[in-house]
Amino acid sequence: MNSRRQLFTGLAALAATIVIFVLPFLFIFLTAAKTKQDASLLTFTLPQQWQLWQNFMDVVSARDYMLLLAYFNSTVITVAAVALLVLFGAMVGYVLQRRPSRWNTLIFACVMIGLMVPPAVVPTIWVLQWLDLFKTRTGMVLIQIAYGLAFAVLLFRSFIATIPRDLDEAAIIDGAKPWQIFFRVILPLLKPVTVTVIVVQSIAIFNDFTNPLYYLPGRENVTVQLTLYNFQSQFGTEFNLLFMNILLVTIPPLIVFIFFNRQIVAGMTAGAVKG
Amino acid sequence: MARVVLENICKSFGSVDIMKGISLTVEDGEFCVFVGPSGCGKSTLLRMISGLETVSSGRILIDGEDVTYAEPSRRGIAMVFQSYALYPHLTVRENIGFGLSLARRPKAEIEERVGKIAETLQLSHLLDRKPKALSGGQRQRVAIGRAIIRDPKVFLFDEPLSNLDAALRSQMRVELTDLHAKLKATMIYVTHDQVEAMTMADKIVVLNGGRIEQVGAPMTLYNEPASPFVAGFIGSPKMNLYDGDAAAREGCMVYGIRPEHISLSATDGKWRGTVRHIERLGADLIAHLTVDGLGDLVARCPGDTPMVIGETLFASPVAGKEHKFERGAIG
Repeated sequence: MNSRRQLFTGLAALAATIVIFVLPFLFIFLTAAKTKQDASLLTFTLPQQWQLWQNFMDVVSARDYMLLLAYFNSTVITVAAVALLVLFGAMVGYVLQRRPSRWNTLIFACVMIGLMVPPAVVPTIWVLQWLDLFKTRTGMVLIQIAYGLAFAVLLFRSFIATIPRDLDEAAIIDGAKPWQIFFRVILPLLKPVTVTVIVVQSIAIFNDFTNPLYYLPGRENVTVQLTLYNFQSQFGTEFNLLFMNILLVTIPPLIVFIFFNRQIVAGMTAGAVKG
Repeated sequence: MARVVLENICKSFGSVDIMKGISLTVEDGEFCVFVGPSGCGKSTLLRMISGLETVSSGRILIDGEDVTYAEPSRRGIAMVFQSYALYPHLTVRENIGFGLSLARRPKAEIEERVGKIAETLQLSHLLDRKPKALSGGQRQRVAIGRAIIRDPKVFLFDEPLSNLDAALRSQMRVELTDLHAKLKATMIYVTHDQVEAMTMADKIVVLNGGRIEQVGAPMTLYNEPASPFVAGFIGSPKMNLYDGDAAAREGCMVYGIRPEHISLSATDGKWRGTVRHIERLGADLIAHLTVDGLGDLVARCPGDTPMVIGETLFASPVAGKEHKFERGAIG
């Protein structure tokens, strides 16, 4: 009786997963392989005529190979922002966890505010303009760091709490300077949580649509999510190319997620018990 | 090799005084053991010598140099932690050589010195392993190797054997004593285990409540304890201690007699008691008696002594082995 119920709930969960995650992806794939007329019907059917390669080439070469430029921009922004997020997140988390001072409460409050208060777009643009960073990839990288830092600090801080202080002290006795303790002892031990931060943040930054739209206008600054506009207009949308584009921009984060799935869960739960 | 001098060391956390004026000299090449119950301040004192903890007042001199406010790495000390504190991401080779690589010593020199130390500590075949692939005893040896490579004036040990099982602990006790004999270095060792203190120390410092109760050689502390606290702390099973009327009858404030200094007889003796519990340890037998006018009395006798629970026996102290304290209280 019990095993039948387990089987039933298992199947129900599997069915729900397929409906929520697999069917939309299948719909994207099928539509991406259709002709323009066929795709415009937006039906969940097999293509009457398969033209996956043709659509792929059309999307890549659209607007003077804009997608390739977009991949370059998105990759630069993602790699730079994630690298600095890991570095700063780990540093702030380390100091907050290891060096109690009266400033800690204030800093921690700032971190929580960073997590809770939604960013205001127009003042941010003013600041960027004032710093001469508006419409630059550097500006975009800094924005992504600012938006992701609070989450990274929280994850690193709780993980560092599980690393025994004896290690810091052993390194002090061995003659390590504070920065050597951090880079040579603590940082290498943060691998599980670092993988989590890398995966979660790189997917979020690579997939970000709104922030590049606000802070990074300009044809030469395009990021992958903004290329979706290439195939939508007021008077007509080429759904086959739009969905091919969606397929292309979805695949890199999907690969990252599939490869690092296990580490993400490990990093998320590590430090959850003790902290 | 160096002499360590502590002058009137005090330590307070907020309004709580942890150490209350500790003055002590550890001679060059001496194996000195700090012993005391949990919370007596022995680890804090060791951490102050290492520089990991600041001193509220007083002075610390190592090899004649005032190091009270010096960085830990500039004191000429090395420390072995209770948890071993090995770097989990580094191999045994890298763990031992970590201090030298921080000091940017040439690779060949690091390799040579690590090799030599690994040989001394029988770690040569484990050099490429990570700490998680080592047993407790091997980890402890790596931690000791990491201390030796610094060529320190003073070795500090913070309860290094407390995470090991009983068999390994006794083996490591012997290894540490051998190491001390070989290196002839000054060693300061913290433990709460009086057996470790008795078996390894040249000098034992008994601490209680942030103060030194007594300093002396192991057998001095055993034979001539200065206070009821030291008398009760040194020796196993612990000394029988009595105050109140029982002590007054013996003409003192606190009266003490060790279990091994009590002779039992079936016919006559100073105290008459009933056997309440018997612990047979093989070579020895520990008898717990309930004695009229005294209360509980523990006696150690040869393992083959015939005895049953409920039997009436007479106990007498061995002449000259009684301890009579004019002050102090039973801890």
